[in-house]
Formats: sequence, structure tokens, C-alpha cells
Amino acid sequence: MKKLLLVVATLAVMPAAIAHDFDAGSIYIDHPMVEEAPPSARVLGGYVSLHNQGAEDDRLVAIESNAAEKVEMHRSVVTDGIARMTPLTEGIELPAGEMVWLGSDGTHAMFIGPDKRYVAGDEIPATLVFEKAGRIDVTFKVEERATTRAPGHGDHMQ
Amino acid sequence: MKSLRVLRIVLWALVLVAGAGAASLFLSARNAPIDAGPAVYATPFTLIDQDGNEVTEADFLGKPSAWFYGFTHCPDVCPTTLSEMSALLEALGPDADRLQAVFVSIDPERDDVFTMKDYVEYFDDRIVGLTGSLENVSAMAKARYIFFEKVPLEGGDYTMEHSASVHLADAGGSFFGTLDGEEPFDTRLQKLRRLIE
Repeated sequence: MKKLLLVVATLAVMPAAIAHDFDAGSIYIDHPMVEEAPPSARVLGGYVSLHNQGAEDDRLVAIESNAAEKVEMHRSVVTDGIARMTPLTEGIELPAGEMVWLGSDGTHAMFIGPDKRYVAGDEIPATLVFEKAGRIDVTFKVEERATTRAPGHGDHMQ
Repeated sequence: MKSLRVLRIVLWALVLVAGAGAASLFLSARNAPIDAGPAVYATPFTLIDQDGNEVTEADFLGKPSAWFYGFTHCPDVCPTTLSEMSALLEALGPDADRLQAVFVSIDPERDDVFTMKDYVEYFDDRIVGLTGSLENVSAMAKARYIFFEKVPLEGGDYTMEHSASVHLADAGGSFFGTLDGEEPFDTRLQKLRRLIE
């Protein structure tokens, strides 16, 4: 019985675990995730991969979430040994046919002032706002921070 | 004839002087202690650790140390650096006891003692978190050639620009080098091993 329950539970969880993606017509949204942060952290870094499968260029202009005071898009760069962060006021460009990762080159979504402590396994509902594809509801999965990966430093593995 | 003889004596005298000079330069260079640079990490400071205790430079001398200057309202560079610092301490194994890792807030206006305790302990309770008055943090940063600057954002908020590398100091407080986020993990680990050996 226990085994059967486990199988049923696994089957129920599987589709969500395998495919954490959202289809916005021309934009394929893959794996929106947020890295778990210390309890006192007032900011959370969010990442998502966006594939513009349409024929027209589009743009991610905003991310909205009721779970945070606001969500901004930034780029962190280290130049001459100094870490700087600039807001991406124009959003993220999504050229037709291309895959863009919000997370490469120091880009990230910054969830400022989350409404509670989010830990690995939690989900944060949000809306991605595209210039042409419109508003798409997604959930950012909260995941443990991987020490061997550096999302803020580009997509290299160590 | 006589003037030639005088000239010869003068020239030989010059050779002797030059020789003695060269020898003394050579000897003094050999005997001089190896210069590890000024001990900027021994410059006095007073800050507060994550348990609310007042600490000074003396608390961090006598043992090599690794310093990171950042802030908690930082979504990627700072948490990444701290989690990698924790991974480095882990990789050092028992030798990690010979190193003191320190996270200094360069945003002390927002990073109080409670925030710092929670923040450093989340990553590794071996990392000491320091905050204090803006004046004291600024004085420390200046003495150690650490850059930080407040940058206003739209809507009244602000972010911090800051030196991104981890700075290493030897037991005497002399600057030893840096760990760069772009370097392979093993390179950083080797630098730490050289620092503590």
C-alpha cells in the first residue's frame, strides 16, 4: 500500500518536476526560479529562460508579483574589480528565434521586500509582462543555492 | 710623470670605493628582511561582530584572514561570494581552522547586527560578520584600499557599488592577495592553502 501511494505520489509530482515551463504563444518560458536566501535577506534573485519562437522580436518589459513589494530587473557586472548593478529599465530584449536567459551576464530579476521567508520548495507566483506576447502568469520555484554555480557571474560552470 | 702617478692612484681609489659600495649594497640586500608590504590589515578599527561584540584589528591578527566587503541587499554577487567562501572552507577541511573568514558590511545603515548574524550563519557559522557606524566602516575601507559607494536608484532606494574580490591578509596583517570570482575554484583554494601554510 505504501509503495502504491509512493508511486501515485511520484506520478502526481512528475509532470510538474519534469516540465516546469509556461507557454505564452510565441514565447516559451522555461524554469523560472529564485535562489533561496538567508532569512533576513530583503532581496531574492530570480532567473528564467525565455525562448522567442515567434517571427517578431519581443521584449520582457516587467515582472510583477504580489509576493514582493516590487520586482526589478538588473544587471550586475564586475568591472575593474568593482561590483556594480544597473537597472534594466528597457527590460530584456527577446530577438525572434532566440533563447535568452535572464541570469546570463549578471542579469537577474530582483524580488525586493518579499512578503515572507521563502525556502527551497516554495513557489512564488508572478506575472511576466511582454511587449507583444502580453501578460503571462508563471511560478518561480525557490531552489537551494548551488555553491558551485555563479548565476551572477554569467553561465560558466566551475 | 708625477701627474700620471697621481691620476693612477685616484683611479684605483675610485675602483676601491665603487667595489666597497657594490659589496655593501649586496650585503645589505642579502640581510634585509623580506618586505611583505605595509600591514594595512593591522590598521586600527572598531566594529561590531554578529553577536554584538565590539571587535578591533587585534581580534583578527595572529591568524591569516580572508575578507569580503559587501551588503545583504545584494541578490547575486554577495551571496554567491559567501556561499563560495563556505565551499572553500569546506574544501580546506580541518585546515580551515587556520583561516578567519570575515564579511564586512559596506552598507551598515541597513545591515544591523541581527541582519548580519542571520546572513553569515546562513552561509557558514565560521564566517564572522562585521558592521558598525558608517564612519568606522569607511575608515577601515579607506585604510585597506577598499572601494564602496552608495548609488541612488529610482524610487528613493539605493544600491552599493563595492570592491568585488576577497582580500587576503597574513597573520601579521600584511596584504597577501585576492580571490577573484572569475578564477577557477581550485585556483582560489590553492591561494588559501598558500596563505595558511
